[in-house]
Amino acid sequence: MIPFADYLRGLRRDDDLVAVTDGQRGDVPVDVLAAEALDGNGPALRFERDDGVDLASGVFSGPDQMHCRESAPWSRLSLGLGLDAEAPLVDLLDTVVGLGPTGTPGKTTYTPQAASRTLEDLQALSFPRGVDDTWPVISLGVASITTDAGTHWAPVYGVVVGTDTLRVRVPASLASLSDDGDTVAIALGVPPAAITAAYLLAVADRVESPIRKTGVEGAVPLVPTNGGRVPSATEVVVEATVADSQPDFEPDRREAWEHAVAGASLALDVTRVVATEDPVVPVSPVGRPMADDLQLTGLTTAAHLYHRVNNYWGISPVEWLLLPPSTELGVCFVASDVLYAGFEWQLANILFSFSSLFDTVVIVDGDVPSWDFGRVLSDIWVKAHPSRDWLFSEPDAPAAKRPNYRQDGTTGARLYVDATWDPRWDDSYLAPRVTFEESFPESVRELAREFWSARGLEPADCDPISDGLDGGPPE
Amino acid sequence: MAVDSFRAYLDRLADGGDLAEFEASVSWNLEASAITMLANQRDGPIPAFRSIAESETDAVLVGDPYRGSRERPWDRIAHSLGMASDLSGADYYAAVIDRLSSPREPRVVDRPAAPCKEVVKTGGDVDLLSFPWPYIHQGDGGRYSNLQTLVAPAPDSEWGRWSSHRMMLHDETQASLLLLAGEQVPNLYYYQYERRDEPMPVAAVVGAEPAVEYSADMWIPSGRSEATFAGGLKEEPVDLVTCETSDLLVPASAELVIEGRVLPGERLDEGPFGDYFGYMNGPRRSMPTFEIDAITHRRAPRVPFCVEGSGVGYDRNSSSTLEVAAAGPDATLGLRAAGFDVEFAVPWRFTSRTVWVIATDCPYPGYLHELANFVFTTWGMLHIDFFVFVDADVDPFEPRAVLTAVALEADPDEDFHQFGVERMPKVPLNIYQTPDEKEGADVGTSKAKTAKAYVDATTDGEWVRRHADEELRKRARAVLREAGVSGAEFGSDESRGETE
Repeated sequence: MIPFADYLRGLRRDDDLVAVTDGQRGDVPVDVLAAEALDGNGPALRFERDDGVDLASGVFSGPDQMHCRESAPWSRLSLGLGLDAEAPLVDLLDTVVGLGPTGTPGKTTYTPQAASRTLEDLQALSFPRGVDDTWPVISLGVASITTDAGTHWAPVYGVVVGTDTLRVRVPASLASLSDDGDTVAIALGVPPAAITAAYLLAVADRVESPIRKTGVEGAVPLVPTNGGRVPSATEVVVEATVADSQPDFEPDRREAWEHAVAGASLALDVTRVVATEDPVVPVSPVGRPMADDLQLTGLTTAAHLYHRVNNYWGISPVEWLLLPPSTELGVCFVASDVLYAGFEWQLANILFSFSSLFDTVVIVDGDVPSWDFGRVLSDIWVKAHPSRDWLFSEPDAPAAKRPNYRQDGTTGARLYVDATWDPRWDDSYLAPRVTFEESFPESVRELAREFWSARGLEPADCDPISDGLDGGPPE
Repeated sequence: MAVDSFRAYLDRLADGGDLAEFEASVSWNLEASAITMLANQRDGPIPAFRSIAESETDAVLVGDPYRGSRERPWDRIAHSLGMASDLSGADYYAAVIDRLSSPREPRVVDRPAAPCKEVVKTGGDVDLLSFPWPYIHQGDGGRYSNLQTLVAPAPDSEWGRWSSHRMMLHDETQASLLLLAGEQVPNLYYYQYERRDEPMPVAAVVGAEPAVEYSADMWIPSGRSEATFAGGLKEEPVDLVTCETSDLLVPASAELVIEGRVLPGERLDEGPFGDYFGYMNGPRRSMPTFEIDAITHRRAPRVPFCVEGSGVGYDRNSSSTLEVAAAGPDATLGLRAAGFDVEFAVPWRFTSRTVWVIATDCPYPGYLHELANFVFTTWGMLHIDFFVFVDADVDPFEPRAVLTAVALEADPDEDFHQFGVERMPKVPLNIYQTPDEKEGADVGTSKAKTAKAYVDATTDGEWVRRHADEELRKRARAVLREAGVSGAEFGSDESRGETE
């Protein structure tokens, strides 16, 4: 388990986090800077503020896969979950799934609360107000409540409307577990494993599962609060009571998990705010391209779906699965062995059954590595026959939640693109790829490497993200 | 100022540190192409091989000389045309379109003034195999010249017709030419010369000056001449000289000119070949026979080649770069000239000849269908299978913006449009048809037809604003730069090529 503050120190050590002071920032809003850094595939940012809590953006997101890069969109989160930055995607997906209800709960560990300083009120933290926001916002928090079953976690974001009042959005399934007057704790700046677990529970619609029955129990040391238990290393803990479980509150923006599951509003009266000595909390430029909440939603959904499809038929044909933030979760990409003719239809349609986020699935062959998204974006158009392999359902399917069209509930078609080799084809029909490995014998490859090594031309930035099937070109 | 020869282009690359010259001996047999492919994969400099083993001439092989960088593929082309460096994609297209709008007639020079005539070989002295043509991929059907301009007669232009067609070498005087019916020069051969049982005079120009190479990759409508557009591109007339064995005019500054005839009714094997799809395509085809009558060249000719198939996905090569940097601006201009109010037409970066992105307004119902229909029946007929239409304010040079538009705006129910099912012609270079479907046609198209499709990823309703206003974004980038954030995306707005 890596505390949030330690995680940020690690990113800075790796030159993947840049500090921005108030003096440098001037009057440019934090969310605009955070969005611009992410849009430009830049580093994470830490806003070192003279007044209020420090903020960190981009820490759960990363660069897109539209170019060959030295890190993947999920590299930072991999580090945060204790993996190498170069860890294959599937290792991350397995780790994420292991934090949820299908993971194995470990022995609960209680350690003292890092946030030991009681603040006067919320205003002392000076949460940032976005350029289009009416109120200061909190994002990427974990809401914790206690029921008879135990502590439940879910993602939370919201606005600060006074010194001791919050209006927040949580999954409706969490809101349904609480009543007016119940206590809730909001943990900001939690270990990456904790926010990931909260997102996973939300997108898998398993918020009703107490964390004692999930893999995050034992993975993250905890501490009791007046709400539910929270990670001991949390930077800021806000304890509150539910003042109104059905307030008239519509936020200006919504974190991306609300595309996957229904959200609900709560009005909270803050009873206590505690923080570490030098607190820092994450902030996501909600609604902007590549935002942290979008990436977390995509990766946790991918992990959930990857696990489900690979445990559904008694075998594990799926090599990897992605809902890239560059598609805003509107397309699901999956690499799989096509076990038999028609399996691709089965695979696409079971994904439609398991998620209502998207209505387009792209299937590529199992030997396409996840780091080589450029190849995916090529194979779609050259390997899939324009009429035979772009397959549409009858137009009576429900609309997907994420895309902008048909949000009035009108039914329509779903689409899957089959960019795999047809298993009925004779092997001699399968066109060999043009690659350095396949187009040249080893002796020639070695000569070419030596030629460039002598001139200092090293492998491209995206090459290191790989080993074996899911990582690295075999070169 | 634009460069006026291929070797001047190489000099300009060298001046910019973009050329890697190898003095050590390298074989044309896979070695030169392997070294080139690695450079393509690593976004490295352009390799030039000065010493080719088992070569009877002092030719210099140059691997993928027109390859652009991954993120800004047009930069080297812009530099060769004397344009400002660091142009944005949009500004580069605008600059090329501006030059194409002012074509210049070429100038005919006498033979002694033509560098391509420094060495002239005719009759029994012709030996095609004396040059170090590369064997490019393991499994290719033979050695290729595949970065060349084919000069052919043009019934409607005194300057001839220029286009790009690769050739596979067979012996000292014969090669097979990839002529795919549906394109202008192949049509001339198949449906005029061959039907009259006449040989068609042609000249394969290797190492033509860059403006010639660029214009040969454009779809110039009949009645117009590539030569004049090349002059427009370089803002000076292109010098032409008469061939030794025909009346064809060829670029005088070329490194190497192979003169001959495409024989009627005669075919030679062509392929398999590692092609622009990124896959080896087969089966072996029969293609028209190019009979060589003369070869003229400069001393120590620079012979460019392309490691075809290595320009897909994240990687670039010459052909994928030329699609983006030459065919794209030309197509944009052509669509505007045809009355379509397009912002830009840009090849999809990951597979440049199969799918194009067109940013456009949609002024009336049915407009996108008309636009797609126009392109699929003209220049996009053989190679392009898909168009993706995005709103005019979506940047087609930015693939993430395009992908987001497809994901959020293209409704599978009504925004994916197939132009009939398997009624369209297709080149047999594709990999989604079976060998049985591909073979059998004798004019270079697959026996089986295919479908074409367009994806309407334009917004139907309210546009969702995804960024802060541009002025605030500029200030944010300035703050990030001051804080120490580096990288191309965070360069100054001037260096990012943004215009006020």
